[in-house]
Amino acid sequence: MAQTPVSATNPTSPEEIIQVKNLTVGYGSNIVLKDLNFSVKRGEIFVILGGSGCGKSSLLKNMIGLYDPPTGAVLIEGKDIVTAEGAERQEILTRFGVMYQQGALFGSMTLLENVRLFLEEYTDLTPDEMSLISRCKLDLVGLLPFESFMPSEISGGMQKRAAIARAMALDPDILFLDEPSAGLDPITSAELDQTILSISRNLGITFVVVTHELPSIFSIADRVIMLDKETKGIIAEGKPQWLRDNSEIPLVRQFFNRDAHAPVATPESQTPSTAH
Amino acid sequence: MADIALPTNPDAADAVWHAAGNEASLTLSGHFNAHTLGNGLWTRTRTAQTSWLGDSGTGKGLTIDLAQVSYLDGAGIAFLIDLQHAQETAGGQLVIHNLDQRYAPLIAQYQPINNLFPVPDSDHHDTKSTLIRVGQATEATVEDARNQIVFIGKLASALGWAARNPRQVRWNDFINVAVEAGVAALPIISLVAFLIGVILAFQSAIGLKQFGAETFVANLVSLSIFRELGPLMTAILFAGRSSAAFAAEIGTMTVNNEVDALVTGGIDPIRFLVLPRLLAGLLVAPILSIFSDLIGIFAASLTMLAYQVPFVTFYEAVLKTIHVNDIMSGLTKSLLFGLIVAGVGCLRGMQTGTGAAAVGLSATRAVVTSLILIVMVDGIFAYISYKTGF
Ligand SMILES: Nc1ncnc2c1ncn2[C@@H]1O[C@H](COP(=O)(O)OP(=O)(O)OP(=O)(O)O)[C@@H](O)[C@H]1O
Ligand SMILES: [Mg+2]
Repeated sequence: MAQTPVSATNPTSPEEIIQVKNLTVGYGSNIVLKDLNFSVKRGEIFVILGGSGCGKSSLLKNMIGLYDPPTGAVLIEGKDIVTAEGAERQEILTRFGVMYQQGALFGSMTLLENVRLFLEEYTDLTPDEMSLISRCKLDLVGLLPFESFMPSEISGGMQKRAAIARAMALDPDILFLDEPSAGLDPITSAELDQTILSISRNLGITFVVVTHELPSIFSIADRVIMLDKETKGIIAEGKPQWLRDNSEIPLVRQFFNRDAHAPVATPESQTPSTAH
Repeated sequence: MADIALPTNPDAADAVWHAAGNEASLTLSGHFNAHTLGNGLWTRTRTAQTSWLGDSGTGKGLTIDLAQVSYLDGAGIAFLIDLQHAQETAGGQLVIHNLDQRYAPLIAQYQPINNLFPVPDSDHHDTKSTLIRVGQATEATVEDARNQIVFIGKLASALGWAARNPRQVRWNDFINVAVEAGVAALPIISLVAFLIGVILAFQSAIGLKQFGAETFVANLVSLSIFRELGPLMTAILFAGRSSAAFAAEIGTMTVNNEVDALVTGGIDPIRFLVLPRLLAGLLVAPILSIFSDLIGIFAASLTMLAYQVPFVTFYEAVLKTIHVNDIMSGLTKSLLFGLIVAGVGCLRGMQTGTGAAAVGLSATRAVVTSLILIVMVDGIFAYISYKTGF
């Protein structure tokens, strides 16, 4: 495999910013996914799909180097996060931000402090400057009025949005989001999609998103992979619209067409879904 | 604008400030992010702007040229917003030239920018005067005492229920807790009891030796260990280990809404969570206390070998000094201590607020409250035995 050295700053170069090679995901003897190979291109919004419990969150955690997988490698901007150590690992870690499925906000800090923390650790800005940057991030997710609230004082959906703001604190090259719009109302969810799209298109940030929300998938995803519990692997890869209309695999079509086929009152009235 | 080559170094950014009268220009170049701005660039620029604006910025116009900017991330945009805000609050104007089209929506989404600069008193955790704080603390203490009394009532009713329905008690939980709080505590209790026995014997021996009365060390030591030190020391260790553990376990369940799930499922959390722990505490504390008594006496007897007091002499003196009353007094205290430690641990766990920090707070409060109540009960007991001879 030719590995081109990457220039971390040019957001328009189309190289593969994340490469996953022969990755096995599992907990001890419980193998969840095996032999995964895929890559994420710089600047794209890459969506991971799959049924509940098929290992999406586990895959995400392996991609960000939380676990030491039994086999395989995850290259982020060309560097293997699994084997990297010390300063090199630290360097890779500042390249991406993560929003965990449960939010994982620091419970003893206000929302503003949660967002500020990484700026305090990694930059030499003054407190006022860091606060302004953090407020901008909270504003992006619509939580500016709640900056001095504790995580326990806001709702579950708000916690998720705050976690996204925290993940963006350092304006990383890559954002990993685990079900960002689960638990949000359709309007907030659509606004979040717009924010993601805008950040991605204008700043060239790469997104790796786990989501089940069909409208969200169709509006943001450049490319999706679909994981399967039975085969413990990737069963489909491509653009969501294309997979919905052309996939040979029933499960995949079922997934994408759920809202088209569910209320089958009159089977004759079914029309091929119109592509957006 | 086209004749300038874009800087290629991602780690460099520069800002050239030029002011003449009412017009100022700022030429930015390079890659703007939290790191490049953090080298004092942001602060320097703002300082220059502030001193130029002076007392009144009316009629002053700032022109920012972004032609040589290769990249602006969120921090860079925040920087521009900061400049814009300073300009607007002073009454001046700001013009931005050569802004790359892709950044326009990112800046536009923050308008109006005033929201990003809160007035200082908007803090929602506001500060209160000392008088109000004292008043609230008093109210909280009274409320806490009331809660403890209510909780004692609930515990009594749960114990009564357990006596009537012994088959419905969760004995498996009881055994697990008893093993964790009891058996697992044996090493630390042995260690501390042994050391206390040795120290007590040495200290007494030093004093009594002056009168040639080393043989009476046994009487002195055994009485203090059985009546006072054994139960008290065990209770303190028990509080440190198990009260905190109970509070943290139940506290975590409270934070995760597990306790709510029990309640809405029609299961009384007192019976389900508290009762097994309470019964385990009642069983384990006296046993641990007796165990520590024995270790302490043994350690003292070993120590007295150094003063040529043989085992047999020592134990005979112990048996002569200690009456059933002394042992019962110690055991009764241990029983109460066990009740306090387990009860308080569970109470604090159930009172846990929200968030991870609340669990830590509950564990701390459990230990502190347990220790206070243990000392209080011990004092009351000392008074009673002084009056009644029990
Ligand atoms: N910490 C863990 N220890 C052991 N096994 C785990 C752990 N976390 C997850 N698993 C197992 O890994 C599998 C995948 O879990 P994962 O959380 O990755 O699913 P998911 O695809 O994210 O599901 P969902 O859509 O419900 O979030 C599950 O079968 C689960 O039992
Ligand atoms: Mg998951």
